[in-house]
Amino acid sequence: MNKIRIINSSFRILRRNKLNTFFMILGIVIGIAALSLTFSMGKGTEKQITERVKNLFNPNNIFITSGREGLGSGRFSEAPVNNFKIEDVEAIMQEIPDIIMYAPIQTTSERDVIFGNKNISTQISGGSADGEIVWRRSVVSGEYISKADELNNARVALIGTKIAKKLFGDSDPIGSQIRIGSVPFIVKGILEPKGADPHGADLDMNVIVPITTLMKRLMNVDYIIGVKLEVDDPAKIDDIVKKISVILRERHSIYNNEPNDFSIMTPVVVKEMIGKMNRVFTLFLPLISGIALLVGGVVIVVIMLMSVSRRVNEIGLRKALGARNKDILFQFILETSVISLFGGIIGLVIGLTGAWIFLTSQGFTFFVPWQSILFGVFIPVIIGILSGIIPARKAALLDPVASLS
Amino acid sequence: MIQLKNITKIYGENGGQKVRALDDTNLTIKKGEFIAVIGASGSGKSTMMNILGMLDRPTSGSYYLEDKEVSTLTDDELANIRNRKIGFVFQKFHLLPKTTAIENVELPLIYSNSNDIRKLAVNALARVGLSNRSKHMTNELSGGQQQRVAIARALVNEPEIILGDEPTGNLDSKSGLEIVEIFQELNKSGKTIILITHQQKIAEHAQRIINIQDGKITDDHKVENPLDAKAELATL
Repeated sequence: MNKIRIINSSFRILRRNKLNTFFMILGIVIGIAALSLTFSMGKGTEKQITERVKNLFNPNNIFITSGREGLGSGRFSEAPVNNFKIEDVEAIMQEIPDIIMYAPIQTTSERDVIFGNKNISTQISGGSADGEIVWRRSVVSGEYISKADELNNARVALIGTKIAKKLFGDSDPIGSQIRIGSVPFIVKGILEPKGADPHGADLDMNVIVPITTLMKRLMNVDYIIGVKLEVDDPAKIDDIVKKISVILRERHSIYNNEPNDFSIMTPVVVKEMIGKMNRVFTLFLPLISGIALLVGGVVIVVIMLMSVSRRVNEIGLRKALGARNKDILFQFILETSVISLFGGIIGLVIGLTGAWIFLTSQGFTFFVPWQSILFGVFIPVIIGILSGIIPARKAALLDPVASLS
Repeated sequence: MIQLKNITKIYGENGGQKVRALDDTNLTIKKGEFIAVIGASGSGKSTMMNILGMLDRPTSGSYYLEDKEVSTLTDDELANIRNRKIGFVFQKFHLLPKTTAIENVELPLIYSNSNDIRKLAVNALARVGLSNRSKHMTNELSGGQQQRVAIARALVNEPEIILGDEPTGNLDSKSGLEIVEIFQELNKSGKTIILITHQQKIAEHAQRIINIQDGKITDDHKVENPLDAKAELATL
């Protein structure tokens, strides 16, 4: 037998039954497009968020945020907790020498930042001298906040590159006086550009003033919403987390059966959270797309069965001319495989294009996951073969006499 | 060349009414013969054709092709013999729809290990006088031309036997004669021709006529002076 010639012959038949072929391809295109779209979007998002988190979270960092653990921790908890104090952090530092540094976290709502007749609205964050190391972000010009600034509630500010650009254009902001609301500040430094944080907030829109200044002059509060800790050895993190919990529960007078009014996040916890979130994209949505693909496979089976019935004469003739059962089997499975592969490649291109549009519109970088080859080629061929088996068997076992009469 | 011994074919053995389509039939066909099998519809001549063409197996009896028993061969072995030894020409042509003449002629070669498929198909089309129609879609051809494509397809693997099942049944008398003319020429070049027909006039172009009735051969005689299709066409 001459397989290549049977392949050629199959191609011709598919080309000449355009409507059938079109619908069979369409089923697979939809399935594969959905599959590769959701998967690629998931992978792209995952990669981006992982990178952003990595920016924020080094293996030797711990976050403590005020408020009960779970979705609404910190500032956004259902019942805001205002009992997390700088003194709590100082107590922790004193009792656990493995923590070498900390950076308190507190943020205002949006405030007007004014220079001359220019005005920009943004959130103001509290900073400290150690923040430069803890947050791994320094200044590109001017100086960082000093210990003295913290102690004296100094009215100095570090501004992000976008703020600098918008308020000052091309002129040098260092030493200029800006106002935050009605309070005057001197621009002390320009923050390193960083892009977006894991929540998508633009870090280059940051304005940072000493934490003490922020709490007393801008917010008039005595609590913070969280703290980022720097430990000397990542291996000790689990142990440190336990100790922090004991200290804070005692300081906050929490009874044994009551839940924490704070939450502690470690790189491991964050990784698990990201993983959970991404399962929606890389597992759940592709699973749904898989159903679409299954429907595509069923469409092929049904259309091919109809096609076998219509082509009874052709099959009988081929047998009379010397086709063996397996030649017929091969021909029909080949037809469904070619259709499916074709649909898979088209679907893959559509899906990846969709993912590219989505990801770039979100400011994420698009890349082609290696699993795409699986979606575009391997899975469609498998579907083609599987959906071809039933019609092909039916065709192969046709009696040449019955099919020629 | 072909020897049928006590061939019986019964349809409807698994329930339903039993039909004895061929009943204890014996037939010997020599190499190079041109025979016509004639009978009314339902006489058993189609069954005879299916058995001779190895498209169907007898219920009992033996079929020897070149002294080899073939009724016990596997489906694949029979397919191989059909491919190499027998050329089929059907009443309804059975050309593939939406394909060109040449593609139809190439079909048997796909299932044998032939080289130079295109060249062989071109030659076969030339033998039936359709060289200039090779790239035409089959539905663009007249009935007579379609049947000639079918003959080219039957010839392309150089089989020793050409089996025609009412090949003129769907054609007007002139086109029918042209087909018979080709059969007579093929016979002259050494092919064994078996022509199944219900038209006495067509049958008289053969050298031997076999009558079938109710599954039995009722008559088997030599034709002293077979009609010459070429001469008849010349007078039209």
